[in-house]
Amino acid sequence: MVGVLLAAFSAVMSLSPALAADLDAGRRKAAACVACHGPDGNSTNPTVPSIAGQVGIYLHWQLLLYRDKRRVDPQMAPIAAALSEADMADLAAFFAAQRPAPPAAAPDPARADTGRRLAETYHCNDCHGRDFAGREYAPRLRGLSRDYLVAQMRGFKARTRGDLDGAMTQAAQPVADADIEPLADYIGAVK
Amino acid sequence: MRFRTFRFALSLTVVVAFVLATGPLAAQQAPPSWKQGQPKDMESSSLSPIAQPPAPKAPGEIPVDKIKVPSGFKVELWAHGINNARAMTWGDRGTLFVSSRVAGNVYAVVDKGGAREVKTIAKGLNLPNGVAFKDGTLYIAEIHRITKMEGIEGKLDSPPEMKVVYDTLPKDAPHGWKYLAFGPDGKLYFNIGAPCNICVPPDTHANISRVNPDGTGFEYWAHGVRNSVGFDWHPVTKELYFTTHGRDWLGEDVPSDRFDVAAKKGLHFGYPYCHQGDILDPEFGRGRACGEFAAPLLKTGPHVAGNGVEFYTGSMFPSEYKNRAFLAQRGSWNRSQKIGFRVMMVTLRPADVPRYEVFAEGWLQGDQVWGRPVYTRQMKDGSLLIADDYAGAIYRVSYGR
Repeated sequence: MVGVLLAAFSAVMSLSPALAADLDAGRRKAAACVACHGPDGNSTNPTVPSIAGQVGIYLHWQLLLYRDKRRVDPQMAPIAAALSEADMADLAAFFAAQRPAPPAAAPDPARADTGRRLAETYHCNDCHGRDFAGREYAPRLRGLSRDYLVAQMRGFKARTRGDLDGAMTQAAQPVADADIEPLADYIGAVK
Repeated sequence: MRFRTFRFALSLTVVVAFVLATGPLAAQQAPPSWKQGQPKDMESSSLSPIAQPPAPKAPGEIPVDKIKVPSGFKVELWAHGINNARAMTWGDRGTLFVSSRVAGNVYAVVDKGGAREVKTIAKGLNLPNGVAFKDGTLYIAEIHRITKMEGIEGKLDSPPEMKVVYDTLPKDAPHGWKYLAFGPDGKLYFNIGAPCNICVPPDTHANISRVNPDGTGFEYWAHGVRNSVGFDWHPVTKELYFTTHGRDWLGEDVPSDRFDVAAKKGLHFGYPYCHQGDILDPEFGRGRACGEFAAPLLKTGPHVAGNGVEFYTGSMFPSEYKNRAFLAQRGSWNRSQKIGFRVMMVTLRPADVPRYEVFAEGWLQGDQVWGRPVYTRQMKDGSLLIADDYAGAIYRVSYGR
């Protein structure tokens, strides 16, 4: 009986869009996410991004992009398709509120210096912030794995990694292939 | 001169030493378009575009009572839950079609007598800001193409395929999203914005263009238009009136956005050489004169982000409202003191400057933005709908009764 009531309640609630995000609900719903993204969203799998402390608006938009097939990933597509709008809001708020693990060990200083200068050349900080902690409209990049960052940048350059408004796709076009790895080494390890 | 030579030699030495030490690096690239044109002395500015929320606001989070309108008018929340709701157009059978931009959706809103039902009829599109309707067919403008859905109003739950009308269009994302409308000549009009904040655009950009609804006969209508995402034709003269977003990073109070009339084909409205009709661009205006270009009909204010343009033709509002233009201003980001976030009205006057006054405001409270009015659309009864892409809502303004 309680289950029926709960089901009826959640059906009613899901009709109302954009409920204020609920951190506790987000924690419960996150149980399915942490298998890949790690406990509290700190991933130890280099191909899966850490989402702890990520910008909440960004996380929510990514779930929408996966649901609408604007961002393509065989694992995320069915997961996002099963989420309600309220689920997305709760999950984004929950992971945004988690403490990100410290970045990986820094690359050797010369390589880090190359990466830093490349980041200036390509104006990465303009949107992602001086410390790569992200801003409302651009994700946090520090602490993300090198493999993940490389894959995203290659995807943006190839125009296969969907984004919200085309801004990152455009920004990736002039990036030389050889510059992608040093950029990823540096950006992911920014302290 | 000697000092400059010395400095050049010094910087050359630094560059050579640097290249020897690290190997060659790519040349400095252009910044993202919103940041482009920012002067050196503003490099630490915290101004940046307002992020689009990923979800519409729930009705309880939408303070409709904060919207102020002239005496005798009333505002109500007409529809909600429409993520990123932008341009609106009516179907023959009373369906309101609503576009979005970054949400990638097109919606159909069906009036169920007292409540509105919202259906998503297309998703995953490329910034589908433009919607126009004619003879049973919905036309949709994305960045790179214009498509159509035939017989859509009878198939809202299983929308027909999107057939390409015209896709010989630039693919640039900056200012690439389009307003779309049928002119009195039966042609589809749309903008192709400048692919930057400020630059000499390719000949194919910074214009208002038109094409026949079958995709033939493409031509440019107006040039030197940085980005116009709102236009309408005067009910009597049938001339095209449009708003334009001015460039960023030139200052708090300049340049003004514009409201213009393009009464004939081929006029040039000044971008990127001359802004607001009387300010030469500090970089691109050299050797040019503002007199070369069409002067603005009205300066609408700096950074106000004028989007929707609609002439009032209904009979619900007082008679002086007939043929006035409503301008929906989505509001500024490139200004420390926010401006816009309101619906203005323009009364055209023969041989005089237009009268320009506020019609609806209140989405900006102090420095806090809770909504962004972006387009208007009259209802059959003469009331006025206002779409808010920030709250994901549509308001209805009515008069009397």
